[in-house]
Amino acid sequence: MSNFKIVFSGPVGAGKTTAIASISDFAPVSTNENASDMTRERKPQTTVALDYGVMKLDGREKIHLYGTPGQERFNFMWDILTSGGLGLVLLLDNTRKDPLKDMTFFIDSFRDYISQTALAVGITQTDIASVPRLDIYNKKLREMKISAAVFEVDARKQADVSLLVQSLLFTIDPGLEY
Amino acid sequence: MRDEMLSSILSELNGTSADIEASAIISIDGLMIAAMLPQGMDEDRVGAMSAAMLSLGDRTSDELGSGELEQVLIKGDTGFVLMIHAGKDAVVTVLAKPKAKLGLIFLDVKRAAENIEQIL
Repeated sequence: MSNFKIVFSGPVGAGKTTAIASISDFAPVSTNENASDMTRERKPQTTVALDYGVMKLDGREKIHLYGTPGQERFNFMWDILTSGGLGLVLLLDNTRKDPLKDMTFFIDSFRDYISQTALAVGITQTDIASVPRLDIYNKKLREMKISAAVFEVDARKQADVSLLVQSLLFTIDPGLEY
Repeated sequence: MRDEMLSSILSELNGTSADIEASAIISIDGLMIAAMLPQGMDEDRVGAMSAAMLSLGDRTSDELGSGELEQVLIKGDTGFVLMIHAGKDAVVTVLAKPKAKLGLIFLDVKRAAENIEQIL
């Protein structure tokens, strides 16, 4: 049995907690607390420490899923949670003011980690805001010299999030079987 | 008015014991409501860490069968950090000296937390 750890990050409201709940094999551990900051305009609760879930692949591989808080004031949790991880799933909310800027910010924040591991990007809420489109994100990633798969995902859909995670795992280890 | 009352509770708390070095009231999502911290200590940092620790403490206490969380205590070799709920939407965080008499501090902080809860 092998164990992998991957980390979900991205701005507030991108769907990190929801995505982990969608693919975890058991009810995830979450640290949702009532929001009192700007977050409140988007959703009533926010993650303040971590989300944790587990996804089993073909009964042998166990993927441990860790979600970070989105606000920068919790960036000490970003360092703690990435330790020992094998990749980053970056979720971006297309309805935010400047999701490309969000992407740049998070890639810069996690640059050391990404350079040693792998990255997959999921764009959420594309049913509400269809632009920027995927080619814009791809172009930006090329400019930043970052190689990553980019998908539109619905964080509530198990199949969507699972595909994103599998593409990340494939980048890490092309020999992995699902 | 509210801010002044909260600040006065904190200054009273810091005054009750020479062992209490700093204290702060923080919203459950990690934002500073009132603080009496040493200069140079980053309020955002203290706030976010308190929220993260307390929330993890809540979950751990619950999942491991220890019931409802009353406090989180962190002991370092140069001091203590104590976190207690002040109602369900706020946390009181206190920094104390390594030789502090914890029983007294628990009592003082708990009393302060009850007063804070009434004001919030």
